[in-house]
Parts: sequence; structure tokens; C-alpha cells
Amino acid sequence: MDTTGAAQAAATRTAAARRSRARRLRDTVEGYAFAAPFLVAYGVFLIYPFFKGIWISLHSWNLLAVAINPAAKHFVGLRNYVHMVWGEHLVWSPDHLFLARIIGLAAVAATIAFAASGRLRWRSAALFIVVGVLLFGVALGIHPASDGRWYDRRFWHIVWNTLLFVLLTVPTVTVVALGLALALNRQSRHAAILRTAFFLSQVLSVTVVTLIWQLMYSPKQGIIANVLQSVGLQPIQWITNPHLAMPAIVITTVWWSVGFAMIIYLAGLQEIPEELYEAARIDGAGGWSILRNITLPALSRTTTLVVVLQIILQFQVFGQSHLITRGGPNDATQVLVRYIYQTAFQDSRLGYASTLAVFLFIFMLGFSLLQARLQGND
Amino acid sequence: MVGRRGRDRTLLWLLTALAVLWLVPVLWMLSMSLQPNELLARTTSNTFLGLIPIPFTFNNFVRLFTLGLTPRWFLNSMVVSVGMTVLVLALSSMAGFAFARIRFPGRNLVFALVLAGLVIPEQAVFIPLYTMFADWHMHNTYQALIAPRLAVPIGVFLMTQFFRGIPSYIEEAAELDGASRWTIFTRIMLPLSVPALTTLAILTFLYAWNDYLWPLVSANHKEMFTITVGLASIQSNFAQSEGLGRVMASGVMASLPMIVLFLIFQRYVVRGIAMGGGK
Repeated sequence: MDTTGAAQAAATRTAAARRSRARRLRDTVEGYAFAAPFLVAYGVFLIYPFFKGIWISLHSWNLLAVAINPAAKHFVGLRNYVHMVWGEHLVWSPDHLFLARIIGLAAVAATIAFAASGRLRWRSAALFIVVGVLLFGVALGIHPASDGRWYDRRFWHIVWNTLLFVLLTVPTVTVVALGLALALNRQSRHAAILRTAFFLSQVLSVTVVTLIWQLMYSPKQGIIANVLQSVGLQPIQWITNPHLAMPAIVITTVWWSVGFAMIIYLAGLQEIPEELYEAARIDGAGGWSILRNITLPALSRTTTLVVVLQIILQFQVFGQSHLITRGGPNDATQVLVRYIYQTAFQDSRLGYASTLAVFLFIFMLGFSLLQARLQGND
Repeated sequence: MVGRRGRDRTLLWLLTALAVLWLVPVLWMLSMSLQPNELLARTTSNTFLGLIPIPFTFNNFVRLFTLGLTPRWFLNSMVVSVGMTVLVLALSSMAGFAFARIRFPGRNLVFALVLAGLVIPEQAVFIPLYTMFADWHMHNTYQALIAPRLAVPIGVFLMTQFFRGIPSYIEEAAELDGASRWTIFTRIMLPLSVPALTTLAILTFLYAWNDYLWPLVSANHKEMFTITVGLASIQSNFAQSEGLGRVMASGVMASLPMIVLFLIFQRYVVRGIAMGGGK
């Protein structure tokens, strides 16, 4: 009896093992089969082009010449990269771009002070401190001597334009979106309609947005000029004035992208527990004090997310500059993506355009990783 | 208490005024699309700064359908957006199902590699993509306009997150009844994920309809433009050739599907943005 029982048990075990091996094999096959269609698209249309882009950036590659004769490209190593960032007779001076560097170094010093006082973890501060010291202390002091020049005269100017656009757009969008979210975070039909109204501009395509705003800014036909003229003022030359062209595309962009940030803030506001407010009210705190001591601190993670998402989004600005100001006047609104587009498809210099695209990728990588970390914590 | 209520009410009405001001650009476009071209050539501020379409005409829309390429561009945008949405939903839900519900060797590694793709922006790959589709002689086709977006991992990420939240006993019960994986996927998982799929669909459709850079690069025959690219091509010289009213009518056509879709599915758009940043 015992022996047959043991034999039966052993038989069951081997059968179970065989079944589980069969099961594992089936899971493997089916797992990869279900993922396969996406993985193929992912490999062919994202991963392969990404590495091919780096490969193209190592070549002198004329779009038209290579289209006719595939062998008409040649390998140049890192020459495109040197051309992009470097120049002839560059020198380092402590006082070049003095104000910007002092402000930057002050921010680094403040970060160190915060970390030392324990209000910020060293681990989160370290990267900013290292990058800040290298950037503000060293890199920004490099410039061409009086007889020198950048190899690409436009590149750093365009990088600066793009940063300026981000610096002007992101804080404005964030503050306006926060204000609207705070005011409209209530359950009433009226507030719901207003939320819809402020979000509506977000669903328009960039070409619709630029179509309308080009005309808004027009000194002859624009609604802004019409209003100014009706009260006896001169129309403003938004697009042709080098000091107003950048503000013009910033205003358009803020109008276009506030809705998105507002929604993220509204979601963040929903997560603040009601008890916190009740406790504060029992303690007799007023509206302003509740906002400063409870709402804003509770929203700090949301704010970081909004800012990081906006930086990533606005760094890729293209349509507004391409269609409203055409990069002008005199490169005043020329931005990186438009420079990449033109280098590739108007000048046919695919190799150099790819180098610029790699620069864009590296520059954005830090922010993308930050975003991944913020959203991965959910 | 009365003071607080009163302040609240004042704030809401102030915001209402701001909202009207906020919508002025859109209202102006709509109003101009309903005014005669000849009038707009003279003045854009006929009645109340041009915000009210008097004199009124439907001619711009009528002529839009009889002349010019706007209807064709509209159709192209529909084909591309619907095609892209259907394919993104299929690929993302299948891959999401595999990553969330099937235990296979290498799963975590593959999933991590897929997520790594989130840091690659469209602008970093559009030049190599251009050369690839040129080598395949596939520019100016719907496939070329659709395919690159299928590789973006955000949909897989959203679907994996969603499928992970479904309790496993549902699946186990179906398995005991002898259901195959495909049956479990199509009969149980997909019906359960309608809300997530709707969110992903809306966001994909919005992206497809409004995308500008890739269609601009890939489609250079006028007949293959999407409405977003087509609208850009007629706005530089709108005053002379097309007539302001007709260009504005094209702009309204380009916006209408998105606005309608948004008003119907607002809840899903909002949830999608709150969930994944809606990239």
C-alpha cells in the first residue's frame, strides 16, 4: 500500500513538473508573442533610428548627394561635434558673461547651504552642484579672443534663444496654471465650464494657434492693433521688432499650454486630504495662511512635475518660431529644433543636423530621467 | 460667511471675464470664417472688433468643399489619426498584457528597455527616420505618416500599469475553464480596460491630428498633407491668394474634430494627462 502510494506521489510530482515545464515554455512563447508586434515597431522605428542618427552625425552627409549616390558620404569622426561647440582662438576669462555666472554660482552656493543645513539631501543636490560649478564656474567663461571665432557662429546664440524661451515660458505657465487651478478647484457647474474654457486652447494644433496669433499680432489687421488704435495708440510691431518677437511667441505659447499644467495641478489638489484644511480652519488659519502653509507645500511634488514636463515640452519648440516669426528678425527667435530642421532639409547637411539632434537629446536627457523618477514613484 | 461667499462669487465672475478674453482668439477665427472675403480684405474689425460675424456668410465653408485641397487634407488627417489610434491601441494593449500578466524569462529586462525609450524625443530620430523611409521609397504614404508613432512606449506603459491592477482570480477562473491566453485577452482583459483604452485612444488621436514636424518632413506632395501641415502651407500668403475668410474656415475645420472630441471625452483627456503626462 505504502509503496504504491509513494510511487503514485512520485508520478504525480513528475507529471506536475512536466506540466510546469510545459507551462513555462508556453508562457515564454506567449509572452514574447504578445509583446512582439510592439517590440518590432519599437526596434525598427525608435531604437534603430536613434543609433542611426548618432552614426549619421559622424559623417559629412549631404542629403541630395547621398540620395543620388549612396556612397557620397564620408566618415569624419567627431569633427561635426567640434564644429558645433568649439572655435578658433578661444580663451577663458573670469569676467565673461559675469552677471549670468554670478547668479548661477549664487544658486549653487544656495544649494550647498540648503544641503548643509539638512533641508535638502546631498544626494539630490550633488548633480546640480557639480554641473553648476562646471557650467557657471568654467564653461561659460570660454569665449573667442578678439581674433578668434566660433566655428558655428549661430549655434550658441540659438541654444541661448531656446533656453530664454524656456526660461520665459515655463515659470509663466506654471504660475498662471497654479492660479487658475486654485481658483477653479471647486464643484460647481460654473467652475467646470471655466475649466473647459481655459483648457480649450490646448486641443488646437500648433498651426491653428499660429494662424490665429499671426493675425492677432499683425499691426494692420490684428485685433491688438485695432484695440490700441481705437484708444488712439500706435500699433505694436510684434513680429518685426527684435525685442518683441520672443515675447510674442512666449505669449502665444503660454496661451496654448496653460490648460495642460492646470489639469495636473487640479489632479494634485484633489489628493490633498480634506482633514488638513479642517484642522487648519479649527486652528483659526486664514485663507492666505492655509495657502502658504498647507496647499503650496502639499503641491511641491506636483509643481516639480509640471516644471519638468514643461521644460521637456518647451525645449522642443518648433511651430511657433517656424510659422509666426520664421526664426527672425535676425535669428532673434531661432530655436534649436528649427535650426535642426533647416540644416537638414534646407541646407541638406544631414550629418551636422544629426549632431545638433544628438546635442538636443543629451541636453534633454537629464530632465527626461528626472521626469521618469517623479512618475515612477507613483 | 457672507463676505467669503461674496468674495468667491466676485472671483468667479472675474475669472469668467478672463475666460472670455482667453477665448477671443478662437472666437475671432470663427467669426472671420463667417464673414465675406471682400470685407475682410478691407477690415478685420467690422462689427465689435470683428468678433461678431455681421455681415454673415457661409460661402467660405461652401467654397472650401468645392475648391482647394482642404477636404483632401481633412480626409488624410482622418485616415492617419484613426489608423494610428487603432494600431497604437492594439500594440500597446497586447504588449501591456504580456508585461503585466504573463511571467516569461527576460520580462523585466525587456520592459526596462522599453521604458528607456521614453527619453528619446521625436526630434532626435526624425532625420534618420526620414532617410529610412526615403530608402524604402515610402514617403508620401499613409504608412509613413503612421508608423513612427507606433514605436512610442507611453501607451505600453499606461496599459501595463492598468493591467497590473486587475485582480488575478478573474484570469485564474477563466484558465480553469480551459480558456486560452488569446481568449482571456480578448474576452476578459479588453472589456475590463475600456476606460484605459478610451483615454489612450483620445490622447493618441489628439497627438496624431495635431502632429506637425513629422508630416511636414515626410509628406511633400500637397495631396498627402495632413490638415495641420496643409494649414501651415496656406497661412503664409493668406491675404493675397486664398482670402482670409477661407483660410480661417480651414482653421475651423482643422479645430472642430478636436474640440468636439474634447467636449465629449473631457473626462478621459483629463484623466490621461493626470496619469501619464499625456506625452
